[in-house]
Parts: sequence; structure tokens; C-alpha cells
Amino acid sequence: MSADVSRNADAPPAPRTRRSYGGQKRTRLRNTLFAVWGAIVFLFLFTPIAVIVTYSFNSGRVLARWSGFGFGAYVNAVNNDVIISSVVTSLQAAVGAALLSTILGTLGGIALSRVRGGGWWAAALTGVLVFTLVTPEIVDGIAFLPWFVTLGVDAGLTPFSNGLVRLIVSHAMFSMAIVTFIVRARMAGIDTSLEEAAGDLGASPWRAFRDITLPIAAPGVLAGALMSFTLSLDNTILSSFVQQPGYTPWPVYIFASVRVALRPEVAAMSTIMLLLTLFALAVVGYVLRRSGSSSTEIIKTMAG
Amino acid sequence: MSERMRVLAPRPALAQYASYGGGLGGRFSRRGMLAGAGALGMGLLAGCQSSGSVASSPAADGRIESKLNVYSWGDYDDPDVLDAWSAAHDVKLQVDAYGSNEELIAKLAAARGTSGYDIVVPTGLRVPDMAEHGLIQKLDMSLIPNLDTIDPNFRGQDYDPNDEYSVCKAWGTTGFVYDTSAVPRELTSWQDFIDVAQDEANGTTMLLEDPWEVVAIALAALGHDLNTIDEGELDEAADIVVEQLAPTARAYLGNANTAMAQGGFVLMQAFNGDARQGIMEADDPDRWKFVFPTPSANIWTDNWCLATGAPNPDAAHSFINHVIAPDNAFAQVDYIGYHTGSSVLAEPGIEDDFDFADIVFPTQEVLDRLVPSEFNSGQARRVEIFTDAQARSGT
Amino acid sequence: MKRLAAKVLGPGALAFPTWAYVVFFFVIPVSMVLFYSFGYKPDEYTTVATDRLSFDRYGEVFNGAVLSTLLASLRISIVGTLLCLAISVPFTYWLATKVRPERRGLLLALVMVPFWTNFLVRTLGWQIILSPDGFLSDWMQGLGMLGEPLDILYTRSAVQIGVVYNYLPLMILPLFVAMDTAGTRLREASYDLGAGRISTFFRVTMPLAMPGVISGCVLVFIPLTGDYITASVLGGASGTMIGQIIASQFNTAQNWALGAAMAVSLMLVTLLVAAVAGLLLWAGRALFHRLTRVQLEGVPS
Repeated sequence: MSADVSRNADAPPAPRTRRSYGGQKRTRLRNTLFAVWGAIVFLFLFTPIAVIVTYSFNSGRVLARWSGFGFGAYVNAVNNDVIISSVVTSLQAAVGAALLSTILGTLGGIALSRVRGGGWWAAALTGVLVFTLVTPEIVDGIAFLPWFVTLGVDAGLTPFSNGLVRLIVSHAMFSMAIVTFIVRARMAGIDTSLEEAAGDLGASPWRAFRDITLPIAAPGVLAGALMSFTLSLDNTILSSFVQQPGYTPWPVYIFASVRVALRPEVAAMSTIMLLLTLFALAVVGYVLRRSGSSSTEIIKTMAG
Repeated sequence: MSERMRVLAPRPALAQYASYGGGLGGRFSRRGMLAGAGALGMGLLAGCQSSGSVASSPAADGRIESKLNVYSWGDYDDPDVLDAWSAAHDVKLQVDAYGSNEELIAKLAAARGTSGYDIVVPTGLRVPDMAEHGLIQKLDMSLIPNLDTIDPNFRGQDYDPNDEYSVCKAWGTTGFVYDTSAVPRELTSWQDFIDVAQDEANGTTMLLEDPWEVVAIALAALGHDLNTIDEGELDEAADIVVEQLAPTARAYLGNANTAMAQGGFVLMQAFNGDARQGIMEADDPDRWKFVFPTPSANIWTDNWCLATGAPNPDAAHSFINHVIAPDNAFAQVDYIGYHTGSSVLAEPGIEDDFDFADIVFPTQEVLDRLVPSEFNSGQARRVEIFTDAQARSGT
Repeated sequence: MKRLAAKVLGPGALAFPTWAYVVFFFVIPVSMVLFYSFGYKPDEYTTVATDRLSFDRYGEVFNGAVLSTLLASLRISIVGTLLCLAISVPFTYWLATKVRPERRGLLLALVMVPFWTNFLVRTLGWQIILSPDGFLSDWMQGLGMLGEPLDILYTRSAVQIGVVYNYLPLMILPLFVAMDTAGTRLREASYDLGAGRISTFFRVTMPLAMPGVISGCVLVFIPLTGDYITASVLGGASGTMIGQIIASQFNTAQNWALGAAMAVSLMLVTLLVAAVAGLLLWAGRALFHRLTRVQLEGVPS
């Protein structure tokens, strides 16, 4: 790091002297301090998760009151139809919402990155999407339920009376803006000449889109889809308003249990889901590594 | 009482309770404003009924459907009783939880018959409104023969004089629990509650997350009618709630049971059944004491009702008939800690079969001084007082 | 052909489905709620009436109890955002410059793990940790660090810890990206030109990381201000946040007009704070550039 460098006329001599004198030691100390800080942050990030994992082995009835070690909570959780079906509902809704919001967000993101000279619609769309991000979730919830009923009962569009459809539509709304912005960021630096070249070479617009534009956007699309999936899986407030019996998603189930008294089953199921998530992430990472993208690259794209 | 029921462990299958959770979260008081504002429901209905229709439900045809969706207060039935029924009829039973009558009514009204719920459990004084606005429909009592086993005292009540819409589910009252190791005195009144809250329990008091109940503490201590709509009286109560209670409150929770599991509370406003659950689950039950405070408190009744648009009416009737059966009354009361109104509970000596029976069965003297809460024009002011109290606690 | 392609797949047409979806599932239903904020609650049985429109509900919001809760929430979210930033800057600097490149991906993925665990479950973990009867309290008392049970749960401090925890990954990610993009070469150039470490950090690394700082702050601040789950699990009476009061207007008080007015006010105040912060930042940067331009003339920027 402290590379030996050629003299610079402007350089004040003092710092240089200081660095060469005992610089090694200082650097090591500094690096140690940074590493300690990193370790503290990781400790902070993982303590509550470790607690949940630990307490999932609580054999007692109340999660927070440790009474002994046991696997009872896992047995109960796996055999509990309602827990299983809420997890399945959550996964279905998350996949559906991720698909829907990714399709719409990708189209929107590409369109926004392609606009030249700032069309009014682009500014307006960006504005509305930003608005969806800053709207408190509770407002979305209270707005959605009557709207779904109007569509489902009054307008006779029966799909909107289905709990899963409601979850997917509302979650997709919630994460669409994020996908759009990620894809737009991904496409921002890329000019349209490639597509135009493809057009000149006789490719149909669809082929140009499929063979040129989509591959370029792919990392952004993937990141957006992952983000959307995560947000849907985590969504509590919106879901609690639009959910229907038979389609109770997992976070809503947990939130309802918080009110009464939490049982270790919730921790057990969360631990199982955490392990599955880690496994899925490892698979994704492996696939990406094989396809040549570094995970840093993906996460960078995700963060916009 | 059969031998079998006596043998029942207090709550062997509590661990399974979680299977019956679900539903909207949010920590509202378990009982809600008793007469809870049907406001949302009514508003929506008023606005929508002209333009929108309410989805209708299929008629009962004698065949029990394969599903049943119940929307009730959290952890309000013995899982064994529910399992027995769903196993016997091979029905997939889903029980979701709500935290206040308003939440229930909001959900039903907004969904206009598409909520998917078959059975709901509103508090008595909401029943007429809900019936009038088409949120619940008449039960077919011929399918619920066990109605005859309900104590006549809990049938034909004012809110449903002809037993058309509701079947008594449970009733209870409000009081408080305190830690006798921190407060070694005998507490008896709401004034004691306020005093202790500012003294030994300063910063360790729990209030119910329910405007009516919180304001009722002050009204009772002042000796006013708990359902008063007099602005002067409510202002006096506001002063006590905001200036004396709010600064000492550590949390507003829906359920004293949760608070006791959490630890850190000395004084908790509580419904009797929740308090009993919390005491029974505590490491040292003797430390805690439940009080039916003088001069007065709320008495409420929850009811089994059939939601409009219920997709599974046959299963619903069969379920209600099963749950209120005399054979299940003991298990239900022992689990939830609330009297279910079953006539078998009127048998002399029944108290001996329960732990902490004195909390489940208030004496006649206590019963005589209780009043049912009402939903009236003072409600907006109560909500305002409650909001002020919450803000005051935060400063 | 080319023109046709441009027409068919023109940006406007491409964005149409997105537009339609946003209008149909956001603009229409949410506008209805916004409209309610100008209405009133006529009686106990009605949630909202809009036959007489006024700004009175906004008057109620910016008056007394609600305002104090709103300000308390803002304090929590501003402090929370700054804490997240303070924790993340050294952390991401370490991650981007000190950690070996091949390990960075793994460590970043680890940062994401809490993010992949349910929000509520994470918060419940804190509830267990901070409980006065919990293990941390027992340990600290056992070690003599505390004379009495831990007194954090159901206080504002608990909410503060909870929100910092819940939103920290949202700060770390963009900040890391920015730090990483800044690259080591420019820093080395700065050293070569004789700048010290501290001055390099403030004059080279931080300015280059600024976009990450900004997007991190926005990502943390906006959802944090409207959060109500963290506060309802950890907050108790003294940690109440505005989100809870808004929710109770819809769920308990059944006053849609006031609830909608509160929600709109929250959005406006959130945007206002963000705008003021942006303005300050812009002014600060302009000033900083003025002050430092001369000394770092040799560094490409």
C-alpha cells in the first residue's frame, strides 16, 4: 500500500518521514483495528440470528423462556399444517411477485434507460415509482383491500377475490420500482447502437431485444428478481391487509403469534428457512461463478 | 363431569396452539373496545352497499364441507377440542386471529362476503350492528342441538333476544395483576392501581392497548359511569390517564400473558382469563395476584357467529355444536380461563376442578358491580385520550 | 424497418405495461386514500366522509400529541440513519480495501444473510436478547456489570438498536459498491502525491463514495421513518413511532381521514428532511471542493 514513490515537489516531507518511520507497525495496528471493527459488525449482525437458532432448540412452550434442549419444536413445526401451508403460500407469492415485478420492472427499466431528451412520460413514471417507494406500507394496505373487493365483487373479476392473486399483485406493486431502478441503472451506460446494428443486419425488433438487450440487462434483472423475492417473503403489513384464510403468508402468521405468545416452532421454522436460503444462495453463487460473474459484481448491481 | 375430563392435564397440548395462529397481526387489546366501533364496516357498507353487492353463501345442505375457516381472538380455543372435531369430520380447519372487534368488522365489511371466513367471534354488543349491516347471518339452530346445554342466563341476551345470530362463546371481565414481591400490600381498587403505578410500579406498569379500558381505569377511580359521554367527566379522566398513568406506563400491550412471559412488569391491567394463563405459566405463580377491582369494571361476552358469505355453512354449524358440547366445556374453560356459559359449569363444586378457579369464576358480589361496556358517542374522545397518553409516554 | 422497430419497441411502448400496472394498482387506490385526508369522520359509525373538504385533519396532525410522536420518530430515524452510516463507513472501507478480493464476495453475502432472515424474526431475536429476564441481562448481572435486570426492552433505546440492526445491510451494500468503485488506484495516486491517510480518506475516498452514501441514506431513512413493526415489537410505551399511530387510526380508531392525513404528512416530512439533507450535502460538497481543489490539483477526479 505504502508504495515507494517518486519524489513529488509538492509533497510535504513530514508525513512521508512519519510513514517510513515505524510505518509498518502503524499499518498493522490500523489494519488490526479495522479487522476488529469488521468482526464487531458481523457479531452485531449475527447475534439475534444466533439467538433465534439457539432458541429453536428450546423444549419449552414459550420461545423466550428457555427450559431445556430438544428437537420438539422442529417436529411440531414440520408437522404443523398451518405453518407449512403459510410457508408454502409465502413462497408461491414470492415467486409470483418476483416474476411479475421482474417482467414489468425490466420493461420499465429498459424503457427509462432508452429515453432520449427526457420524455414527459419518463419523468412522470420515475416520479410515480419513487412515490411507491416512499408511501408508508400501511397506506398501500388500506388502499388495496377495498380496491380488490371492488374489482372482485363489483366488477366481477373473480381472480381478485383469490388470496394468492391478491398477495402477488400487491407485492409486485411494492417491489416493481426497485426492479425498474436496478435495471435502469444497469442499462444506463450502454448505448443503443448495438440494437440498431442488429436491426441494420436484419434482426427483427424482438430478436434484437432478446439477443442483445436482454443479455446486457440480465445481471440487473436477476438482481431485481432476487430483491423482489426477498421483499415479498418479508412483507408483513401489506399482506396482513389483503390476505385471506387459506392464504396466510408466513410473516403474517408470525406477527399474529407475537401478539399471543411466541412458540419455539416459529424459531424452528425460521431456522429451516434460513438454511434453505443459504443453500439457495450457495447454488446461485456457484452458478454465477461458473457463468463468469463475480458475486461482488452481482451484489454491486443489486445495490444500484 | 366425567372422569376423563378431570384427568386432563391443565394444558397438555399448548405447544400445538401455534397451529391456530395466523391472521392479521398488530398488538391490539384482546378484547377491543367491547362495543367496538363497527365504524369501518358501517362506513364501507354505507358507501358501498348501494353500488356493490355482498357475496352470498351457499345454503346448508347437510353435507359437511372439507374446509372450515375460523376468525377469532388469538389462542382462544383448546387445540385438543379443535383437533378432535377436525379429525372426526376430516376437515381442514384454519383458525386466524384478530385483536379487536374493529379489526374483525373492518375485515368483514371491506371484503363484503369474500373474506372466506365461516365463523367469527364478535363481542355481544357488536352483534346487532353486524347483523343489521349484513356482516353476519342467522344461524340454523336446528343444526346446533347443544344450544340447549348453554345456561339460560347466557341465552336470549339483550343483543340477540331470540337466539338467532349468536351462541355464547365465553365471557370475562377486566382487572389487574400485580407482583406481590414488589407490592406487598393488598390492592383492591382502581385507585390503588393508579397509586401503585405512580409508586412501586413506576415505569413497570402495563396498560391494555384499548382506549375504552384505559379510560375506564380513571373513570372508575373517579366514581363515574364507565360508559359516560359527559365531556366534563371524560376531561377529568383524561387528566388522570395522561398525567398520572401515561408517564409511568412501560408498554401498552394487548395481553397480560405476553407481558408476564416477557418479564419486567410489576403491575398489569388484564382480562381475567389472560391473567390466569400468565400466572399458570409463571415460574412462581404465588408471586402474582389478580384483582377484581372496585368499584366497577367491564363485563363482556364473546359469541360464535356465522359470517355472511360463509363458504362452509354445514361445517360451521357442526363445529359450533361440537365446541359448546358439555363434554368440551371443561377443556375449553381450563384452556382459555374464561367461563363459556355452559350449564355444566353451574354445577356446585365445579370450581374445585380448576386451577385458580377464583379468577375464572368471579363471585356474585363481583358480578353485581360489573357493567358491560358500550360503544357510544364518547368513543372518539376516548381514542383521543388514548392517543395523547401514548404520545405522553413517549416523551 | 429501423423506424418501425423504433416505433414498436420504442421506449414509450415498452414502458406501457409498467405504466398501466402502476396506474391501476397504485395511483388509483392510493389517490383514493389521499383524497380521504381532506375529509372528516362524521360519526362513530363512519370511517370517512368527503362531502365537505378541508385541511382540518392536517391541522390536527401538526398539533400536539401527534406532532410530538412524529418528531420523536424523526429523531429515531435520523439518529438511526447516522448510526448506520457511522458503522458502515469504517466497515465498508475495511471490506473494500483491506480484505482480500477473493473473500469480499463471501463477506458481502454474509452481510446479506440477516437480510434474508425474516424481518420480524430478527426483531424478535432482539426482544429475547434485551428482555430483563433474558440471558444477556443474567450474564451482565452475573459479571457484575449490572446491579439490576437489564432495562432496555420497551424503551426508545431498544427501538434505536432494532432499527439500526434492521436497516444496516441497506447502508452497507451501496456504500461498499461505491468504495469499491473508487478503487485502490486513486488512493495510491493520492499517497504518491504526498497526501496522508486521513487526508486521502476525506479528500479522495469519501468524495468518490458519496453516491453510495447518498443512496444508502435514502434507502435507510425513508423506510425507517415509516416503520412500525420494529417499534411495536421493541418499543413499548416510550418508543412509539408515528407508523403505529397511523396504523391505529385505520385499525382501531377507524378514523380514515385523520389516518390518511397523518400518512400524507409523514411522506411530506420524510421528503422534506431528505431534501434538506440533500441541500446541506450539496452545499457542503461545494464548499469542500472549493477548499480542496488547489491542493489536489494533480488528482484526476
